[in-house]
Amino acid sequence: MLPGLCLPEGERVCTRPLEAGPVLSLLSPPDLNAKRKKKVAHIYEALNSDPADVDALRRLAIDEGGLLTDEIRQEVWPKLLNVNTSDLPLLSGRSLRQISKDYQQVLLDVRRSLRRFPPGMPDEQREGLQEELIDVILLILQQNPQLHYYQGYHDIVVTFLLVVGERLATPLVEKLSTHHLRDFMEPTMDNTKHILNYLMPIIDQVNPELHDFMQSAEVGTIFALSWLITWFGHVLSDFRHVVRLYDFFLACHPLMPIYFAAVIVLHREQEVLDCDCDMASVHHLLSQIPQDLPYETLISRAGDLFVQFPPSRLAREVAAQQQAERTAASTFKDFELVSAQQRPDMVLRRRFQGLLRPEEPAKDVLTKPRTNRFVKLAVMGLTVALGAAALAVVKSALEWAPKFQLQLFP
Amino acid sequence: MASEMESSLEASFSSSDVLPGTSGFLSPARSRIFKIIVIGDSNVGKTCLTFRFCAGRFPDRTEATIGVDFRERAVEIDGERIKIQLWDTAGQERFRKSMVQHYYRNVHAVVFVYDMTNVASFHSLPSWIEECKQHLLASDIPRILVGNKCDLRSAIQVPTDLAQKFADTHSMPLFETSAKTPNDNDHVEAIFMTLAHKLKSHKPLMLSQPPDDGISLKPEPKPAMTCWC
Repeated sequence: MLPGLCLPEGERVCTRPLEAGPVLSLLSPPDLNAKRKKKVAHIYEALNSDPADVDALRRLAIDEGGLLTDEIRQEVWPKLLNVNTSDLPLLSGRSLRQISKDYQQVLLDVRRSLRRFPPGMPDEQREGLQEELIDVILLILQQNPQLHYYQGYHDIVVTFLLVVGERLATPLVEKLSTHHLRDFMEPTMDNTKHILNYLMPIIDQVNPELHDFMQSAEVGTIFALSWLITWFGHVLSDFRHVVRLYDFFLACHPLMPIYFAAVIVLHREQEVLDCDCDMASVHHLLSQIPQDLPYETLISRAGDLFVQFPPSRLAREVAAQQQAERTAASTFKDFELVSAQQRPDMVLRRRFQGLLRPEEPAKDVLTKPRTNRFVKLAVMGLTVALGAAALAVVKSALEWAPKFQLQLFP
Repeated sequence: MASEMESSLEASFSSSDVLPGTSGFLSPARSRIFKIIVIGDSNVGKTCLTFRFCAGRFPDRTEATIGVDFRERAVEIDGERIKIQLWDTAGQERFRKSMVQHYYRNVHAVVFVYDMTNVASFHSLPSWIEECKQHLLASDIPRILVGNKCDLRSAIQVPTDLAQKFADTHSMPLFETSAKTPNDNDHVEAIFMTLAHKLKSHKPLMLSQPPDDGISLKPEPKPAMTCWC
């Protein structure tokens, strides 16, 4: 067990909702300010072009630091979700409490969601927001009867509520619910289980030893369930980390959270391998998510993995696993449809390819044979190196290079 | 979810659980593990009960459990060190259908929990029992019924005699307790320890600490409730 990872009660680090978090912390303050300003300028440039340059916004949301402030998020998140904010309807869910079949469950979950609110917030303000949270959830459910509430949905909605406010949260979460979260909101959780089935094949591609260890422990994938269906909102204490991840996920393919989950497990390889090889030990270790993860590095890594091992490549193994477990087929094609329309993964792909130096053996990486684990491990090393190189190039392009290189190539 | 819940594993090993009459010497040999699954409707207090037993106190705040949480505590029974693993499950129905079944594997005992102040949670018990039957291959796995929140006396909706009748019908012992009230710490303790003794010996056992403050702790062993196996 790692000591010191668990913050005692009341020590949850959190910013006020509209305050910008200190990002780009690898840089010294003057540099930090300059880079920040430059990034902010890039973001507004993309926002103000007509039409808004959504691809550029995606790139900026993925790149280091994400969208920087909640003020910017209020403008960019609607663009990433393709929601028109000029004509928001004035609807409230307040009147739905008597008729909603989900009200009791939503009420129970929202009442117990104190941790999601900044610790310094006055009770009265928090209670007001909790009421709004219930309203937003009930309104979306009422307008979309095909969507089924799940415990954890409230963790997603509260993030939007805290960042963009009630009026804008409703259409944004509604769009999110009918796209990214749709499979979690089916009548059953079979599709959610199907998505969780992507986790082990991703790990297997990068680190077969870790994969085999986890299979022997029969740990299953439920430790990652709350990560996936709340976009990590349920497990991360620091609100800044949550919104940073939301920037990333909103800019990417709906399956990105499962790649990010895989990257976290891979990051903790040594801890896992040091564990007793049984379900309880491994489940316990993995379900306690460290609060000091190197988010920017992991985000970059998850993006690289997505490009190298896209869902279509993993589908066969997932299907085999699925068949073994005899669960229902999913409506997974919808994800492909979403990505075809919005093409978020093109941004990642271009990012990844543009970052490879011409002389690098990119082809080998992208079409790596699955022969034996030594090859795989070698490729894993290469992936890390490429990720680092990729980062370095991004950074130099944006003049953010030196510290990052130092960090990755000590 | 930063703190509270995560600390239970660590906390568990620091607490002294040596029963009276034992030497306190803990054998370095591999300890036996008893795996117990805790199920019941949303908000009946499954997380609080398991936290109370493993960490020795009522958690300040709990949140909805998503999927399955795991807590563990080492105890010593008759000189043998035993690990009690509690698997705390999500209450919302949709989670149990396709998600939780993996965690029924190799379970040694089942704890059904209802909220004494919420009659709907009591009425859900038959479906939990039915589901449990479907997941568990062995039919002789010890099961107990726990009514939680007995401290909220004025709000009680499930009378003890009704619950007792239900428990008898299903051949389970009934316990009424509160994870919250400090005086009831011993009762939560006694419930899980009774179960552990049962698992260890396969014989019906008296409570390790009889109740003395008037809060009802069924079962005083009576024939209808001893059908553990």
